[in-house]
Amino acid sequence: MEPKKRVRTSNRVRLLAVVVASSSIVLAACGSSSTAKSSSTSPSGSATSGTITWWASPIAQVGIRQTLINAFEKAYPKIHVNLVSAPTNTGTNRSQVVAQISGGSTTPDVFMGDVIWPAQFGAHGLAVPLSNYLPSSYWAKFAPGLVAGAEYKGKVYGSPLFEDQGFLYYRKDLLAKAHLPVPKTWEQLKQESLTLVHDHLVKYGFVWQGNSYEGLTCDFMEYLTSAGGKVTNAAYTKAYLDSPQAIQAVSFMRSLITSGASPAAVTTMEEPQAMATFDAGDAAFLRNWDYAWANSQTPSDSKVVGKVGVAPLPTFSGHSYPGYSTIGGWNLYINPHSKHIATDLTFIKWMSSVQAQTILGKKYSEIPTVESVRKAIAAQASAPPPEKVAAVTRLIARPAGTPNYPALSTAIYTNINAALNGSTSVKSALASAESQANTALSGGL
Amino acid sequence: MKFQTHTGLKKWVNLLNTSVVLIVLFVALPLYWLIASSFKTNVGIGASPPQYFPDPLSIANYQSAFVHYDFGIYFRNSLIVAIAATFLVLAIGSLAGYALARLPIRGKTAIMVILLMISLFPEIAVVSPLYLVMHNLGWIDSYQVLIIPYTAFNLPFAIWIMRNYFLGIPREMEESARVDGASPLRTYWSIILPQALPGIFTAGIFTFTACWTEFLMALTFDNSNSFRTIPVGIALFGSPNVIPYGTIFAASVVAVVPIGILVFVFRRFVVSGLTSGAVKG
Amino acid sequence: MTRSMLENATANETPPPTPDQQVTGHRRRTTRIGWVFSSPALVIVALVTIFPIAFSVVLSLANVTVTGNGFQLAGFTFSNYSEIFHASVWRYALVFTVFYTVVTVAVEVILGTLIGLVLERLTKGRGLMMALLLVPWSMITVISAELWQYIFDGTYGVMQAIFSAIGLGQPQFLGTPTSAIISMMVADIWKTTPFVAIIVVAGLVMLPQEVFEAAAVDGAGSWTTFWRVTLPLLRPTIALAILFRILQAFGIFDLPFVLTGGGPGTATTSLAVLSYRTMFQNLNYGAGNAIAVSASVLVLIGCLLFLKVFRAQVSDA
Repeated sequence: MEPKKRVRTSNRVRLLAVVVASSSIVLAACGSSSTAKSSSTSPSGSATSGTITWWASPIAQVGIRQTLINAFEKAYPKIHVNLVSAPTNTGTNRSQVVAQISGGSTTPDVFMGDVIWPAQFGAHGLAVPLSNYLPSSYWAKFAPGLVAGAEYKGKVYGSPLFEDQGFLYYRKDLLAKAHLPVPKTWEQLKQESLTLVHDHLVKYGFVWQGNSYEGLTCDFMEYLTSAGGKVTNAAYTKAYLDSPQAIQAVSFMRSLITSGASPAAVTTMEEPQAMATFDAGDAAFLRNWDYAWANSQTPSDSKVVGKVGVAPLPTFSGHSYPGYSTIGGWNLYINPHSKHIATDLTFIKWMSSVQAQTILGKKYSEIPTVESVRKAIAAQASAPPPEKVAAVTRLIARPAGTPNYPALSTAIYTNINAALNGSTSVKSALASAESQANTALSGGL
Repeated sequence: MKFQTHTGLKKWVNLLNTSVVLIVLFVALPLYWLIASSFKTNVGIGASPPQYFPDPLSIANYQSAFVHYDFGIYFRNSLIVAIAATFLVLAIGSLAGYALARLPIRGKTAIMVILLMISLFPEIAVVSPLYLVMHNLGWIDSYQVLIIPYTAFNLPFAIWIMRNYFLGIPREMEESARVDGASPLRTYWSIILPQALPGIFTAGIFTFTACWTEFLMALTFDNSNSFRTIPVGIALFGSPNVIPYGTIFAASVVAVVPIGILVFVFRRFVVSGLTSGAVKG
Repeated sequence: MTRSMLENATANETPPPTPDQQVTGHRRRTTRIGWVFSSPALVIVALVTIFPIAFSVVLSLANVTVTGNGFQLAGFTFSNYSEIFHASVWRYALVFTVFYTVVTVAVEVILGTLIGLVLERLTKGRGLMMALLLVPWSMITVISAELWQYIFDGTYGVMQAIFSAIGLGQPQFLGTPTSAIISMMVADIWKTTPFVAIIVVAGLVMLPQEVFEAAAVDGAGSWTTFWRVTLPLLRPTIALAILFRILQAFGIFDLPFVLTGGGPGTATTSLAVLSYRTMFQNLNYGAGNAIAVSASVLVLIGCLLFLKVFRAQVSDA
């Protein structure tokens, strides 16, 4: 028992040290370190050596991250990039990044994060304000709206890596058989779905993401915006979810299910379920992101190879076509504790270079964020169809300019999901969404 | 019952057999679905109506788990962490369980209630502060960063359960050992421990499975592939919009194998009680 | 237990009164050995758990902001608690969690005890059955949730195919609140009943043989023996299983998080899911910890009440 006693004492001493150390972290005033760093680091980020850690969840196709790293290391042979694979669930991914950075970890240096993170990460000091280092000329090259989406209180926190947005995927063969055009309004989409289902050409009409989760907020934004509605005011102090436009949007979404144009199962569908149903040849229309193209054209995943078309999302009749697509995609952020900010910047700048963006867009059919690359690829005949369509769509960002966006979105998707599955009326669901959204905007539960 | 009439025995045997069949079906059907789906292609997974038997039969999911993803490394890490923590829990937990069952310690009730309180505190609330501690110890990305918390968080339940079984051991055996002049450690080792093997096995298997399946701490404390465990590894499968059911199921079929082996190897500890006496009640 | 077990233990602390000096010396020595035996475990538990738990309690009582430089605390406050107590989402989550705990624990304990009794009777293949039972329990919860999500899927799920084959239509198992709650309970019962069964088997195996032989000699039938002998002797073991099942069920997180995401609507949002969302998604650590701490206090009260009720039953018997 003697050695155990010794261990105990030394552990106690260590624990004491830990408690002291961590309480000093707890009590440390915040906000000083990043500004201190900004003055000491070369603003242009011209470092050409060192080792940095890049935290990124898997991108749709296997090998993208490593291909990018290899190309980068070829351009900067003295920089080594360590890839750490992040969880694929975006919420879990965020919680891990937050735990590491708020815990004082100097790694990861650069992390790939969702486009809806900037306000929250900026407000909590969990990301470096990149606009302190990178001049406005750097930001000018990105496609419109992307940089604005990465801003919080006048500073840009994320450098757009690749963009994503909603598309309408349809079965060319079925539409041809039934002599139907590609739908341009939501009403037309519903009608064509019903026709195809009634004629037994297909099992289900239109599948989309109706489960109680972030994806439903994305889908809802598309209906709401094409109905002319908004979620909040510009200052993010007041939610407008009980509006006539929101009622029109959600009533329509509900009517897709009640009419039979969409299966009842859409209220439990996320991207994978909707995709699988479409790939199995069981649905005529699919609302999904960019990856769905490649997925539907992979023979090992899909029975509808060669039968799929891509179009912009429809709008409500009486509004101009095309409708709106919700912006998704990923940005690169820097950990405020990173010891290699100059090297991090070199990496981030290279990731928005023509070379990197072309790899993303051409080799892996992700939508580039740099406007010139995007246009160049879309102009080529061989470009993946979604990238061609992306050149003509209209985009809408989620109301993520507030640090309370996650709670706001929860208020939206939980209540709308309840309306979609019929457990509450559309009207009362939206009234409850509005009151919960207002609580969320003020920082409440 | 051994002592029943022949008709009663027959009825009982039938009831027993029926129950066994029902239990097996209840447990095994979902498992069949897991295994069958792990051999389906992605098209087969999404087929409607579902494929009751994989068609075509494919091992691509297993290849993908080991080749595309470092499942072999995760498997090794899980084994190291779970075996070490289970060993520690059993070694020090059974001593504590015995002491708290049989030896005169002041405030036993308080200790047991505090242990209960610790084991009921939600993991999600302790993981952030614990990260601060581990970060300051420099333990992030290591085995001990999981082994030590796993030991600590599994000890309360293990102590409770082993103490329960120790209490069930007839006191006379210890008394006679004490009269013979055996030390408490010797009494524990040669009298109590052999008697309590089914209980210790139970505590061990629960500790092992808890460590084997723990997700949140493993995810938070180990960010390097060389230390990540199976549950974390599986969370890296696919991409944000793709759940590769087939690969996940294949990995989890493989992940269950050690548990099966463990139970099978140590089953005599559970069976021993039966062979030593008559059937009960 | 447990109360009876504790009392049992307390009774053990008092040796038969004897003036003999040697016995007192022996007692002192065994007391010391008792501490030597239990301290390694108690010390490691204390070292690892006390700081994080205390920290969580502190955060729940502070105006806290998480920043890139750790947690900033600004003053003591009860506002986190009043915030959650006034939130309808919290009240719903509480009701749901209690309901879910009561139903699943009741079903699992009854079913698990029955399975345990059946297993204990098996003379052949017990090891195999134990191994089979342990498979659901040892599955990573996230994966078993994904398995059940796949089984319950609304377009290609096997359960729906079975239902429609026997003429029960095309139910959306995860699509309506009631059916989603039932589906989640089925998944939980499948995974967790073996936990109870295995605890019960080990308890049964360790029961003293003599009692049963005596009962048999007295001519007690199998039902009488079961109700009068087996069950009372098994009571501490079953109580232990119930106690820890309550703790696990009340903290249910992974299953709803993956199977339903807390939906449809918020129908399966448990306290742990709500706490996770509040902390890690909204970065509201004050309220998130308040939810966690209040849940612990509530379940502790529940456990103590359970122990009290159980003891009453023991004395009635």
